[in-house]
Parts: sequence; structure tokens; C-alpha cells
Amino acid sequence: MTAEAEKPNIITSSLDFIVNWGRTNSLWPFPYGTACCAIEFMSTEVGRYDLSRIGSEYVRFTPRQSDVLLVAGTITYKQAPILKRIYEQMAEPRWVIAMGACACSGGFYDCYCTVPGIDHIIPVDVYIGGCPSRPEAFFDAMFDLQKKIKDESYMKQRAERVKEQLEMIKAKTAEAKANAKEFAQEKVVEIKDFVKAKEQNLVKKAQFWKE
Amino acid sequence: MIVLDPNGEKLNLMPLNVGPSHPATHGCLRFLAAMDGETIVASVEEIGYLHRGFEKMVERGTWQQVIPYTDRLNYCSAIMNNIAFCRAVETMFGVEITERAKVLRVIVNELSRINDHFVCVAAAFQDLGGTTPFMYAFNPREEIMCIWEKLTGARLTNSYARIGGLYRDSYEGFEADVLAALDSTEKALKDLHACLDRNRIFLDRTVGIGKISAEKAISYGWTGPCLRASGVASDLRKDEPYYDYETYDWEVVVGTQGDCNDRLQVRLAEIEESVKIVRQALLRLTPGPVDIVDPRIRVPAHKLAYQDMEGLIGRFKSVYEGIRVPEGEYYCGSECANGELGFTIVSDGSGHPYRIKVRPPCLTQFAAFHDLVEGGQLADSMAVLSGLNIIAGELDR
Amino acid sequence: MKTAEEIFTALEEMFGAKRETLDKWGVTAIVSAGYLRNVVQFLKDTADVELDMLVDIAGIDYLTYPNHEGPRFAVSYSFKSIANPGLRFRLKVLVSEDSLKVPTLCGLYANANWYEREVYDQFGIVFEGHPDLRRLLNHVEFVGHPLRKDYPAQKRQWLSTNDYLLPALEKRLEDLGYRVVQRSKEVGTNDNEFLEGSIKE
Repeated sequence: MTAEAEKPNIITSSLDFIVNWGRTNSLWPFPYGTACCAIEFMSTEVGRYDLSRIGSEYVRFTPRQSDVLLVAGTITYKQAPILKRIYEQMAEPRWVIAMGACACSGGFYDCYCTVPGIDHIIPVDVYIGGCPSRPEAFFDAMFDLQKKIKDESYMKQRAERVKEQLEMIKAKTAEAKANAKEFAQEKVVEIKDFVKAKEQNLVKKAQFWKE
Repeated sequence: MIVLDPNGEKLNLMPLNVGPSHPATHGCLRFLAAMDGETIVASVEEIGYLHRGFEKMVERGTWQQVIPYTDRLNYCSAIMNNIAFCRAVETMFGVEITERAKVLRVIVNELSRINDHFVCVAAAFQDLGGTTPFMYAFNPREEIMCIWEKLTGARLTNSYARIGGLYRDSYEGFEADVLAALDSTEKALKDLHACLDRNRIFLDRTVGIGKISAEKAISYGWTGPCLRASGVASDLRKDEPYYDYETYDWEVVVGTQGDCNDRLQVRLAEIEESVKIVRQALLRLTPGPVDIVDPRIRVPAHKLAYQDMEGLIGRFKSVYEGIRVPEGEYYCGSECANGELGFTIVSDGSGHPYRIKVRPPCLTQFAAFHDLVEGGQLADSMAVLSGLNIIAGELDR
Repeated sequence: MKTAEEIFTALEEMFGAKRETLDKWGVTAIVSAGYLRNVVQFLKDTADVELDMLVDIAGIDYLTYPNHEGPRFAVSYSFKSIANPGLRFRLKVLVSEDSLKVPTLCGLYANANWYEREVYDQFGIVFEGHPDLRRLLNHVEFVGHPLRKDYPAQKRQWLSTNDYLLPALEKRLEDLGYRVVQRSKEVGTNDNEFLEGSIKE
């Protein structure tokens, strides 16, 4: 990849625009709802507030098929490993919203069993305050997230990714080469030793016969 | 795992983990089932995924500071928990709240019950794959939420009740709002019954599923709608009446089969009874004070704090030191949406609670879960779970 | 139907129960741990009493209670009657810090199982004869008993990996009459804590 290709041009920027447009308007949330905020999320989904206005009504309960991990509610130490694993199972690109005071900072549960904010475990993109957050606040957070996604450049990320991969391939090849060399050297040394031992054997045999 | 069943036949069972992050377990419940094909042979449950230390937290604050924590026990009907706690403390003080506060508490209690039952039925439908009733049930719920917003300033976690009264009196036009909400509740009930009663898929999935006999339910300590669905007419509002519940004209709803369908139908019928109670209570709403006048218990009005010294001192002491609940131990249970919510309170006579133990209605219901699902299909366990209406906030505290 | 006072008099005569003076609003009888099962059996089976529902079991730690004399812990049982609506009764068992043992009520009431597990989890009181005394609310790697008054409220304990329930499931299968011939591969706990690096204390 040359430096020329990384510069934005009409093709890459249009592609960026299309990809971001698609991503912003079909954010499928994974509602990791544990407590009160999950009930407010249910209110956000239905009737009056209607989350489908921004294309996010399709709630997915599998981390493989969702874009936004919506942590709504208190996370306890018992639950922390599960949340961590679910975040790791999500495919890129992925974003995280911490909904409500408990997910942001532990809220007013400052206790032996509650995690003081999910950012101790996973990275967070948008925080929403409130105990629980109002549906309007949730919409605001979604708009913020959409803005954030619009600023991202798919082509740049891709270029970086390709670069990383290239470097990785290069590093791996170099490693393999070095390994091969070492291995060859070891082999050569082994053969040499073997030949030497044989020669010595022959010499010994010859001496024996002479005697 | 390979096991020998009681007849000595070899079975190959598959352990299957469900939850805690599962759409039907609401994020906080988990069970491990040994599956023989689609049939659950044995199941064990695990809870505690939302254990937030309610009982440790309340020991650090004053008595009034407990009220916001009780909100988050059963967050579908927060006001009921406030009232249950305040009632327990008021009994310890030995005071009677004013007539208007009583009637207002009955109204908000029953509206909360409507709210809670709607969430339960809606979520049950959602878990079984029906989205439409979910939308129907949430319309009146939103209207009640609007009333909460006007009345208390919050949508979900209201903290409306206070020890010795209420946070504030109702606003102008409260009655009209409540009546409008009741109308739309009745409309939603009609819609829900249209979806529920003769829906072949729904009936196939809920009738005869998760049956429990009355004796077993009592032994498990079930209370509330789940016990009543098994045919036991036990309701604290009738058995140990408070706030003049016995003088209203309403009936205890009782099921016959004790299955999943009964538990949901009982809830819908209870909404009807609650509507009846609220309509009668609105007629009894007479003007008057909502707080008792007793600086030991209820914080003096804000106005008094600016006008005279006594009021200022009373307010200061009440806020900073907390009220002093008489020394002793007491258990007080109230009929909440899910059953009997009880508080075992130990007070050492200081401004802080010494120990408060919550008796959550959900815990006993979820403890019986393995009895309900064993021998049934895996898909039925979801119907059972949503019929029990487990609220993790009060299950784990 | 007997009143709570009459029940208490009966208990006083039969089991030497004492009146708890702190409970001014209801009737609480203090019984010794040795008699607990007999007392509960009596309360459950006697006609006119029939306290057929165990409402709650609460542990209490009297460590910082002002002017408290006697054992440090107490377990309080609340009963109510469905057959005789409105009848409630409480029992209390005092537990000293040295023994920490109370007989279990499992077998008499189905819900005693979880209630006792909770008290064990929060206070460390051992219920003798309990079929499956594990922690209920806190995680498996938790050390100590959080609701004791000497446990600091903010002492946090991280969990390295999710707990597994397979042994409990095998136990449940055996209770149902099955016999485990070949165990499934158990998922062991994770050695490298992936939650490391956050606040530990």
C-alpha cells in the first residue's frame, strides 16, 4: 500500500460516506440489561419513544450479530467476567454505551459487590447519566454515537489494518526465515558431527586391521 | 455426561447453561439443565448476579436514606416498596398517617400494581415471541409514568413515600389524569385479552406448563399472584388489612390450575381489581394534610425552617442525625405486586438502621424453579420463567 | 385458632422458650438451638396453630449493638399461617461466635434451603444437616462474610472467572435417583485472572 492510496480521494471518501451511512442508521443494540435501566430501555423501544426511528429497533440477543453493547444496569463482581466475555465475543466494529449511573460509576451502590463503573472491565464510548436514564437521554446518547461513527473513516481503518497485517506477515516471514536458518545450521552441525564420528570410526577400524 | 436412570437404563445427558445473559432470563438469572434431547431431566439455579448489597448499604445511612434504596428492589413498582418500608417504620413508631395520605397511598399502590403486572404480562409475551401485546401493554404504562413524572418528578424510581407521610401532595388535575390512565388501562386489557384468551399458540405453550400444587407452593413460601394462581385465596390486603383495604369493594383473584397460563391470567384479573379500587379511592380523596405533624418523625415543612428556630432545629436534626426509631425488632410484610415484601427491622434506637433484612417475594418463587421445569421441555422453561415474574433487583438485593 | 400469645405460653411450658423483649409489636420466642426442629415441627403440625409457611430467615450480628449481652449472632425465623390468616409468629435462636451452628429446617419447609444458604453466605453461620450449603449471593471466590459488622463495606473482591455449576447439577441428578457413570469434562477455573490491573482493594 503506497502513501498515495492512503490520502482521501473521491472514491475512498465516497466509500467512507456510504459505509458510515449504513452503520449509523442500523445500529443493532445488544441490551445487556440487568436492572432498572433495562426497564427504561424497554420503554424506549415501544410506543411513545420508538427506537426504530433511528433504525435500532432490531434488538439482538447474540453478541455475534450486534454492533452496540448497551450495558443497562449495575454490574457486580459476579457478573463482570460474563460481561467481559460478551464484549470479547462481539465482532468489530463494536461500540459500548454505559447506560445509567450504575454502569458509569457504580452509582450509589458503593459496596463490596458492585463494580465501580464498567470502564474497569471494558472500554466505553458513550456514558449516559441518570438513575435510571430517561429515554430522551438514551436517544441523545445514540445521536452522539452516530456522530462518532460518522467521523470514522472506513478506508483509513482498512489501510491501517492492512498495514498491520502486512507488518505481521513480514515479521512472521522474518521469524520463519530465522528459524529455518537456525534449523539448517543445526542440521549442518549434526551432519558434520556425524561425518566426523564416521571418519573417526573408519580411522579406528583401519588402525585395528593394521594391527 | 452418561448416567443411569432410576430404572437402570443408560442415558447420555447434555449439560446446557442458560443465562445470565439470555433474552428470557433478564440478565441476572442462570440455570444449568441436564438435557435428554429436548427434555430437562434436572436443573440447578444460580442467583446473585445483581447482588448490590442493599443490606450493607442501608446500615451506613439514616432511616430516610433507605427509601431510595427500596426503590430499586422491585423497580417495576418502586412506590410500593417505599410504602411497604415506610409502613413498617411507622408501625414501630406507633403512629397513624393522615386520612388523605392513606387514600393517596392506596391510589399510587394500585397504579404501581397495574404497572408491574403489565410489565410481567408484556415481557412474558415478548419471551414467547409475540411483540404486539408488548406494545399494547406499554401504552397505559407510559400514561402512568407521565402521572409519576408530574407527581414525583421521576419516571421509574420515584421515592414518593416518606416516613410519616408523602413527599408531596398531589398536583392539580391529578384525578383527571388518573381517570384517563384507567380508561386506557381498560382498553389495553381488552386488547390483551383479545390476544391472549383464544390464541392457540399462546395457550399451547402455557396451559398445563409449570404446574404446582397449593401445598407445594405454600411449602415453598410462595405469596402473591403466583400462590393465588394455585387456588389459595391469600392476600395480605384482606388477611391483615391496612390502609382500609377491607372497606373497598374488590375481590381476591384466585386461579384453578396453578399453571403458567393461570399465573398470567390472575395478573390480568388483578389489574381489573386494582382499577376498581383506584376508582373508589378517587371518590374518597378529601382535602387535608398529607404529613403528620411530629418533628420526631417527619421533617418539618421547608417554610417553617425559615420562620422559626424550632423548625430550623427540627429540620437540621432530622436531616443530619436522622429520625430515632424506637429500639426493637419487628417484621412487617406488605402485599406488593409479586407477593409479600417483608422487612425484618432491627433498630438500636439511634439514627441509623442497625439491620434491615428484606424478604423478597421472588426468591421463594425462583427457588421452586427446578420443580416446575424438570420433566418439561426446554422451551417451556422460558414460559415458566416469565410467568413467575422474577425481578432481579429484589431477588438478589 | 390460637393467638400468638397462647402459642408462646405453650412453647414456654413445653420447650422453655423465653420472650424476646425487643419485639414490642409482635411475639418472638427465643428457643435453644437443640429444640429448634422440635419447636418448628410443633408449630407446623399442631391443630389451631398450623404455621405452614416459613416467611423469612434473617441473620443478625450484635457486634456493635449498644449494651448487648449474650451471644454475638442470632437467627430469626418468621412464620405465618395460610390456614389461619393473620397469624404470625417469630422464633429466634442465639448463636455464639465459638460454635456458629444451628440445625437446619430443610425437610420441614422447602424454601428453608435457599434462606439458610443466604444466611451462611452473609454471616458464616453453619446449618447442620443442610444438604447443599454453598454461597448463594456472593461469588465462589469471595472470602469472608460481608454482612458481619466487622467486614468493611468497601472491601471489594474480584472474581477471576465465572463459577461452574456442574457438581451441583450432578448432586441434583443423584437426588432424583440417577447415578452418574461418566462425568462430563469439567471446566476448571481460569488461572490467569483477566480482570487483573483494576482496583483490587
